[in-house]
Amino acid sequence: MNDLTIVGKRVERVDVRAKVTGGALYAADVQMAGMLYGKIVRCYDYAHARVIKLDLSKAAKCKGVVRVLGPNDVTKKEYNASVLDMMVSADMRGVLGDIDDQNIFTDHVKHYGDAIAAVIATSEEAAERAAEKIIVTCEELPVYMTAEASKHPDAMQFRPEKPGNLAFQLPEMAFPNNTYAWGEVDDSFKEADIIVEDVFYVSKQKQCQMEPGAYIALYDDQERLNCWTSTQMPKLVQKKLANLFELPMTRVRINATVIGGGFGARLGMVLEPETCALAMAVPGRPVKVLSTREEDWVTSPSRHPGKYWMKMGFKKDGTPVACDAKFENYKGAYYVDASGTAFTTGAWLGGMYKFESLRYRGESYYTNQSICGAFRGYGNPQTNFVMEQLVDRACDKLGMDPIAWRKKWHKTVGDDGWCMGVPYNSCALDECLDRAAEAIGWTEKREKYKNQTGVKRRGIGVAVMNHTSGAMPMLLEHTVCDVLLHQDATATINLACSDMGQGSHTTLRQVAAESLGFPYEDVYIATGNTDAAGFDIGAHASRTLYVGGGAVKQACEDVKRQLFERAALELDEDVNNLYMEDKIIHVKGASNKSISVLTIADQGVNNFMNPENGELIGQPGQIKGYASFFPPHNAPPFGASIAEVEVDMETGEVTVIELVNAHDVGRAIHPGIVEGQLDGGAQQGLGMALTEETYYDDKGICLNNSFTDYKMLGPSDMPKMTNILVENSDPTGPFGAKGVGEAGIVPPVGATANAIFNAIGIQILEAPITPEKILKALEKKGR
Amino acid sequence: MTSRVMRDFDLLLPESVAEVLDLLATHKNKAAILAGGTDLLVALKFNYSVDNVISLALVPGLNGLSFDPVQGLTIGAKVTIADILKSKVVKEHYPALWQAAKVFATPQLRNTATVLGNILRASPAGDCSLALYACGGSLTLKSKRGSRQVNLDDFWISYGLTARRDDELAMALQVPAPVRGQKSAFRRMTRTKEDLSKINAAVSLQMEGDVCMSARVAMGCVGPTLLRLPKIEKMMKGSAVTDGLLQKISDQVAAEISPIDDKRSSAEYRNKVAGVLVKRVIALALNGKGNDQ
Ligand SMILES: Cc1cc2nc3c(=O)[nH]c(=O)nc-3n(C[C@H](O)[C@H](O)[C@H](O)COP(=O)(O)OP(=O)(O)OC[C@H]3O[C@@H](n4cnc5c(N)ncnc54)[C@H](O)[C@@H]3O)c2cc1C
Repeated sequence: MNDLTIVGKRVERVDVRAKVTGGALYAADVQMAGMLYGKIVRCYDYAHARVIKLDLSKAAKCKGVVRVLGPNDVTKKEYNASVLDMMVSADMRGVLGDIDDQNIFTDHVKHYGDAIAAVIATSEEAAERAAEKIIVTCEELPVYMTAEASKHPDAMQFRPEKPGNLAFQLPEMAFPNNTYAWGEVDDSFKEADIIVEDVFYVSKQKQCQMEPGAYIALYDDQERLNCWTSTQMPKLVQKKLANLFELPMTRVRINATVIGGGFGARLGMVLEPETCALAMAVPGRPVKVLSTREEDWVTSPSRHPGKYWMKMGFKKDGTPVACDAKFENYKGAYYVDASGTAFTTGAWLGGMYKFESLRYRGESYYTNQSICGAFRGYGNPQTNFVMEQLVDRACDKLGMDPIAWRKKWHKTVGDDGWCMGVPYNSCALDECLDRAAEAIGWTEKREKYKNQTGVKRRGIGVAVMNHTSGAMPMLLEHTVCDVLLHQDATATINLACSDMGQGSHTTLRQVAAESLGFPYEDVYIATGNTDAAGFDIGAHASRTLYVGGGAVKQACEDVKRQLFERAALELDEDVNNLYMEDKIIHVKGASNKSISVLTIADQGVNNFMNPENGELIGQPGQIKGYASFFPPHNAPPFGASIAEVEVDMETGEVTVIELVNAHDVGRAIHPGIVEGQLDGGAQQGLGMALTEETYYDDKGICLNNSFTDYKMLGPSDMPKMTNILVENSDPTGPFGAKGVGEAGIVPPVGATANAIFNAIGIQILEAPITPEKILKALEKKGR
Repeated sequence: MTSRVMRDFDLLLPESVAEVLDLLATHKNKAAILAGGTDLLVALKFNYSVDNVISLALVPGLNGLSFDPVQGLTIGAKVTIADILKSKVVKEHYPALWQAAKVFATPQLRNTATVLGNILRASPAGDCSLALYACGGSLTLKSKRGSRQVNLDDFWISYGLTARRDDELAMALQVPAPVRGQKSAFRRMTRTKEDLSKINAAVSLQMEGDVCMSARVAMGCVGPTLLRLPKIEKMMKGSAVTDGLLQKISDQVAAEISPIDDKRSSAEYRNKVAGVLVKRVIALALNGKGNDQ
């Protein structure tokens, strides 16, 4: 595909000027005349309690207060902030057992930071000061912070319809024996010469997006509910709000503001329900709600933490015979995303290696932690931490090179993908492994780091992953796009896809320009208004370029088709005998016969009638392209990372020296943006492996819901890093592209853990792998 | 839980030391001094409130950072961590302080945070404070009633509490001039590079050849205030610093500290690595290498 002119180029990002100059308008920056401020009163004294008395009277009398609202002053309709239930068919929704179990304000506090009441006032300060005057009297209830605690027979039940506090397990109807499985695992294990098995813990990692939650809502004079939010999925949030407030979709409008990072934290609703409820209480006045970082931390979802047991069996020659696994996650106080991650965590496991048989169980238990939900990778980093460590333990026992084993046994084209029944259609993982190994000097270093004795010991480790581009067929993958051809032959692309910093508005524009055959400058991506944009299931699951790009391509091709049809009529030629170059449509082999796109576009709008006789000229009407696009596949991206670390045997400290990431990206529509995604992913993957964890005291009080004590790696902690883009065109992706938004976070997790294993000969089973844990393990082993 | 809007206070902007002292005499414990504000503003957004904030922003004469071979180093109240990092004399004569400044927070913070603010905060983790504790020094505290000197050894009373009286402004810190053979170093351990210390150590040693004539050994995050380790100092005094001695020191350190479990680390871990850290900071002071042996 050498004839591509815009795809594959490092064009200037559409958002870069506004972001580097501070001009970008985030929700917090939006000011409106007559704007009021809402402050939500949350419970920070208990993680589990019943509110026995709520006294709003003092707050109501405070200066500047307009309204004070408790649970009885807002809709009592329950909702589910996640939008997963809207991405599956009605049948599947029933099978999954998703439930609505959240309230706008509650009198039963189920986690640290649960919302109880709110104040609306004329200034943020007045709202804050009045909120302090709300008196909440609570009766403390026992807390259940882990699955082990909440599944205890004596534990209080979170929801009557979820006995045993089991919010979700793979449903029998779709998954026999509640397992995602193939083959006969118990029999296969009998063939195994070696078995590796352990219980791991994966931590509650937080997205740490830069922008804390900020929302504005206005119930306007046409009785329409308007909400300004940096959600990742405007169309689904529009429908969710319509359902919650029992309004038709025509009366709900989402204005998507610039997103200061998402990573899953804005997947579904966060504080849109609360903000809209406040606005409904003061019709005609916009209400703004701003979260502190601490508040954002405990109200937006995190990664699913939990116990992850896994067992693998191998023959002496390395043949993987059986894999059995169970992930019991500590779901948090509400149902949100209980089903999705519990399934996909196993899907990534199933999609990786050619085990003769495999069985995975995923269970989500209610706990008094803040909710978990989507986070870049959606279960994949958890699986990577566990699966890849066990594979390396097996390689160690088998005396096999971890890269050689992976190359031999990873799934590839034709094998069942992460979703059974949907085989992989492209895979360049071998090339990823080869090039990464070469770039970091794998063979020499593996050899060199055997038998070290010093205080500082080096190690090098590898991990691989499979992921997805959109989640067809698990989700109803669908994006609508329309393209308006203006009379000056430029085009506006209208769709709902968000750009949360991942660069999608730039790459979608590249796809549009390439598909239309127009210069990059002649197209514009218009988003952010749910009145105008058609359906889309949001920016997540590495789908925006793959599915959104597919929609853009198809809608642009529709424009091109119409242009060619009109040209054919004008030139009196067969459509198939035409081609376009520099926005001029020519007849093949007849250099003097042509018509410009400008002429067609202009004629249709400005010049379609002879004013003297009323006769039509040419082809009247403005051209509009349209696509309601469903992708044919999920174009699986594959990737490998190799990490080199140095461990201090006296302090347990780990320094990551180098990281090489090689990813099968299909085609890099914008190589710089792909590299950016891999860099950012690696920062979060290394963080998950080494430092990141939200934790609680034994009463369920969150101890580190801010950057003071939740540590992400900073610029100076990052290793030397190389990203290798393996471009192996996917047959179904727009111009061959695969999704790359999530892939980057995954293999650095396992690679880092394996590098530490290589350095010290011990595997640390709990993430993050801190110096405290390493030193303890070293002492236990007697160094 | 922080608030998005700080509680009301009056921001006072005196333009001379005399005015500061007047304001302090009037408001006493109803006022807080604002130097760089990197501790104070965090507290004000959290749960601390105070009626008056007295800013040093417009007060002249507090920026001095000067060195005299006899008098030693004088650090004025408005000297920032970045000023320390830029100073060649500090780097040469007080390596411990320079090393502490080097790893201190981030560029933005270093440009704002002051050395004296670090001392006045009385945190058991303060990095520059710890380095200065090892080097030794005395603070000049001034009020309308007069001026007095308080040795750092007597300054930190308990967590967040100092010997400063309500009406006193800390004017400057004097650090003695290094004597011949004086060596110093600072090291810390953190969760990520840009973090508060989970444990830190600083030493100042007076060497004659291999023999240590006197030693000041200090540690942070192992007690309610920064601590000196007198037994270790005694072990070093008059001894040749050999690998054997370093190992003995390393084994002894845990007996002299009383760390706790907190969000940055555990008592158990701190006890385990404290000796390693002290051994390494001594090595760093002596030969510029302390990463390992
Ligand atoms: C993100 C971040 C990172 C940090 N990293 C580090 C680090 O790596 N190492 C470290 O040690 N600290 C660190 N700190 C803490 C803080 O930056 C330091 O303690 C700093 O030195 C305080 O100086 P300041 O000028 O900002 O003090 P301020 O906040 O202005 O004052 C601190 C206290 O001292 C009092 N005070 C200040 N000057 C005087 C004076 N002249 N007389 C009397 N009282 C006075 C104030 O009233 C206040 O109580 C960090 C803080 C933040 C926010």
